[in-house]
Amino acid sequence: MQKVPFVTGYLTEHFGDDDYATLAGYRRRGGYEAARKALTEMSAEQIVELVKNAGLQGRGGAGFVTGLKWSFMPKGNDKPKYLVCNADESEPGSFKDRLLLERGPHQIIEGILIAAKATGAEKTFVYIRGEYAHPADVLERAIEECRAAGILGAQCLGSDLAHDVIVTRGAGAYICGEETGLLESLEGKKGQPRKKPPFPAQFGAFGMPTTVNNVETFSHAPHIVKNGAAWFRGFGTEKSPGATVFGVSGLVQRPGLYELPLGTRLDEIVFQHAGGPLPGRKVKGVIPGGMSMPILPVSQLDVPMASEFLRERKTLLGTGGVMVLDDTVCMVRVGCVITYFFRDESCGQCTQCREGTGWLNKIMQRIERGAGSLADLDILLDVAGKMEGQTICAFADAAAWPVQGLLRHFREDFEAHITHGKCPFPQSFEL
Amino acid sequence: MPRITVDGTEYEVAEGRTLLQALDDLGVLMNGVDIPHYCWHPKLTIDGSCRLCQVEIEGIPKLQIACSMPIQDGMKVHTKSQRVQDARAGVMELLLVNHPLDCPICDQAGECKLQDYAFAYGVPHSRTQEPRRAGKKRVDLGPTVMFDQERCILCRRCVRFCREVPGTSELAVFARGDRSVIETFPEMPLSNDYSMNVADICPVGALTTKDFRFKIRVWFTEDLPGVCTGCSNGCNVHLGVANNRVYRYTPRRNDAVNQTWLCDEGRLSYKRINADDRIDHAAVRNADGNLVSVPYESALETAVARIRRVIETKGAGAVGMLVSPHATNEDLAVARRFLDALGSTQAGFALVRGRKDALLIKEEKAANAAGARAAGFEDAAPLLERVRGGAVEALLVMGHDVLAPAYANARAALEGVDTLVLLDTHRSPLEALAHVVLPARHAAEKHGTLTNVAGLVQAVQPAVEPVFEARAEGEALWRLGQLLGLRGFEEPHPQDRTGA
Repeated sequence: MQKVPFVTGYLTEHFGDDDYATLAGYRRRGGYEAARKALTEMSAEQIVELVKNAGLQGRGGAGFVTGLKWSFMPKGNDKPKYLVCNADESEPGSFKDRLLLERGPHQIIEGILIAAKATGAEKTFVYIRGEYAHPADVLERAIEECRAAGILGAQCLGSDLAHDVIVTRGAGAYICGEETGLLESLEGKKGQPRKKPPFPAQFGAFGMPTTVNNVETFSHAPHIVKNGAAWFRGFGTEKSPGATVFGVSGLVQRPGLYELPLGTRLDEIVFQHAGGPLPGRKVKGVIPGGMSMPILPVSQLDVPMASEFLRERKTLLGTGGVMVLDDTVCMVRVGCVITYFFRDESCGQCTQCREGTGWLNKIMQRIERGAGSLADLDILLDVAGKMEGQTICAFADAAAWPVQGLLRHFREDFEAHITHGKCPFPQSFEL
Repeated sequence: MPRITVDGTEYEVAEGRTLLQALDDLGVLMNGVDIPHYCWHPKLTIDGSCRLCQVEIEGIPKLQIACSMPIQDGMKVHTKSQRVQDARAGVMELLLVNHPLDCPICDQAGECKLQDYAFAYGVPHSRTQEPRRAGKKRVDLGPTVMFDQERCILCRRCVRFCREVPGTSELAVFARGDRSVIETFPEMPLSNDYSMNVADICPVGALTTKDFRFKIRVWFTEDLPGVCTGCSNGCNVHLGVANNRVYRYTPRRNDAVNQTWLCDEGRLSYKRINADDRIDHAAVRNADGNLVSVPYESALETAVARIRRVIETKGAGAVGMLVSPHATNEDLAVARRFLDALGSTQAGFALVRGRKDALLIKEEKAANAAGARAAGFEDAAPLLERVRGGAVEALLVMGHDVLAPAYANARAALEGVDTLVLLDTHRSPLEALAHVVLPARHAAEKHGTLTNVAGLVQAVQPAVEPVFEARAEGEALWRLGQLLGLRGFEEPHPQDRTGA
C-alpha cells in the first residue's frame, strides 16, 4: 500500500507498516502498554488530570478540552455510562479519521480503553459513516482481535475494567457528526441534534451519561499516557498543544495528510508540504479547517494553524481540513457549492437553519447566473447574521460563516458577477 | 420559591420549570408577558426548534429560547429589547421565505398565529425574489384532517401530539432541510380518537378539519364557553357560533378536566345542536292515534289532564318519572321537587354506556350522570320493572336513553302505561309511545350546571337561541307542577323567559 502521509509524527509514525493495523504488529511497537499502565496503575482522577494537564483539545472541530469533558461524567455507578467515538467524519475537506481508522485501529481502541477508565464507561459505540465501509471493517477486525486477546471484555488487559466496543454504521448525513445528532442516529432515530441542556454527560446515548470524542482525540490518549503531559506540550503552541493530522486537498501539487504540530503556519503547509499551487497557477484562497470554516485570502496565510491565531483572522481550526483554491476558481461558485451542501444537509428543525440555508443558496445561485444585485450581498450577510448563534446546534453557524468569509475577502468576485451580469471566471470548475 | 424579573415586573414561580412554563403557570404568557412561540405547547414536550421565543437574560451573552430556559432564582429577563425584537423579526422573515402567503384562500385566516405574529413582530415587506417552495396543497391525512404542505412551518406540534397524547405516532417529519415535510406513513392514515386536535394546535393553516374547513370565516363566529355533553368527562369547549348556529366545538383549556384536548366524537357532537331531527314543536296524540303539533301550553294542558286522571284513579304514587342524565342539576332539582310535592317515589334515570379510554373518553355517555345520582335518582332498571308490573300509570320521560340495549325490556314496559309525557331534544322511536311530546333544550341552549365524572360542577349558558318552542326540562316540569296545583310551584320558574 502507498505510504499516504508525507509527514508523520507520533500518531502516524507506523502507518506505513501494514502490520500496524494488526494486534501483533501494534503490540510489537509497544501497543497497549499505555492502556495497561492506565488500567492497572492509574486512578480515573489521575488520567483525567494527566489529559487536562496535557491540554489535549478535541480534534473533531470544536476543540473542547478533552480532560475537562471527561471530568463532566458523573461519578458512581447508578447508571451505565457510555463513550462514543465519533467516526462520522462528514465535514467536507476532512479525511484524517479515515486514515487513523484504516492504519491505526488499535491506537484508537487503546485510547478508548484509557478514556473508559477515566470516565467509568462500560461500553463504547463507534459511530462510523456508512461510506467508510473499509475503515469499519478494519476496526471491527481489530475489535475482534482485542476480544479474543482479553484486551476488551470483562477484565480488559487483566484489570478490573470491563469494556466493549461496538461499531455502528451511519446512513449518510452530515448532521450525524454533530454529537447529539449522532446520539439520535445511534439510537435508531432521525439524525437531529438535541437541545441542550441536558448535555450528553448527563443524558447521552440511550439516556445514559455519555462522552463523545473524535477518532483522533482518542488516538492521542495512549501517547499522552505513555510520554506524559510535558512531552505532549512539547508539540504545538501554548494554548493548542500536540500535533494533528492536517488533510490538504484542492488545487495543490501534493494533496494528502500531514501530521504536524498545531501552530504550523498555513503557508508552510500549503506551499512546502503540499507543494504549492499547480504549475502556472496562483493560490487565491485557503479554507483552513474544513468547509464550514471561513476562507482566508492568499495574503493572510502567514498564520499559525491554531485556533487562538486563526480566530484573529475571523476563522477557526475546525477539523484541520485545508482546502486550497487557486486563481481559476470563481468564489461565487465556491459559495454555491458550500451553500448547496448546507442547504441539503440541514436537518430542518430550527427555522433559521432550515429556511436560511435554502435562501442563502438561492441568492448565491442567482448571483452566479448574473441576476444578482448589490442589495443581495447585504441580504446574504444579514441572513447569515440571523442564522448565527441562534439555533439548537452549530450547523447554522457552519452554514453562515463560509458565506461571511467569502464576502469578507472576495467581495470583488461577487461584485464582478453583478456588474458583468455573468460569471467572469470561465475556467472555473463547473457547478 | 424562585423569583424572577420579566421586563421589570417580579414574579414568584414554581421550582423546576422553564421560563415559558412558569409564565404559563401564572397565566401571564401572551396575557401581559408577550413571548411569541410556535413549537412550544403547554401540554407537549419542549421542542426548541422554532426559535421564536428568544429572550434576553442578564448575564447570558446569547439570546435564549424561553421555552427550554430553566428558571433560576433572581433571573432577569427582557422580552422587549431591540436584540429580542430583531431576533423575532429575523425568525418571522425566515418563516415567510417559503410561505405561500395565500391568506385570502386559507381557512386559518383570522385565527392564524403566522398572520398574528407577522403583523405584531415581523417585517412588513418581503426581500425574497426566489420562487417559494412548492408543495402539495390538499393532502388527505385521514378521515378527519386535511394538510397543506406549503403553509406548514414545521413546528412539529402535530407530530409530538400524535406521539405523546394518543400515542399513535401517525405523523412524522420526512426528508430534511427546507424539503422537510410532515407526512403519514404508508397505509397508516391519521386516524385516532383525538385526531382533530392537531388542527387546533397547528398555529397556521396547514392542518384543518374536514368538518369545519370552508364552512365559515372564523371572524364571523363568536367563541362562547360551554361544556361538551358527549360523555361524563365534561370537557370544556368553545362553541363557535354565528347566525344562531354552532359551527364547531374547539377545546377550551381546563387543566383539571381536558387539558387542551377534545376527543373527535365529542367534538363532532355539536352537530346534535343544529340537527334536523330536533323536536321543535309540542305535540299530542289525537283520537286517531297520530301525534299532531299543538301549542306548547295546550300540550301541557293535555298532559296535566291525563296525569290528573291517573292521580284521581290510582293515586299520586302511580305517577313516575324517568329523568335524564343529560339534564342540568337545576332541571333535576325541579324534578325532585315535583316528585316530592306529588308524593311519588317512582323515579330513575336511564344511561347509555359505551367505550372508554385512559385519556378523556368516559364510559357513561351523559354529561350529568353524577348529578342525577347526587339528586337521589337511581338507575332506571328497577323503575322499569315496576312500570311493567303496572305500578306506574303515568310516566314523565326525559330523553330517550332508555331505548339503549341495556334496557331491553323498556319498550314493552312503556307500551303499557296509560300516559307517557316525553320531554326530549331529538326525535326517536320513543315518540311513537308518547301521548304528549314537549320539546326540550340542549345544554347549549340553557343556563345550568353539570357535574362531571370527577364531581366537578361546571356551568353552561345559552350559546344559541333554543329551537322554536323548546324549554328546559326544569321549566316544563315547573309549569306542570303549577298547572297540577302542586305545593311549592306557585311562583313562576325563576328562569322562565316566556313569562307564562
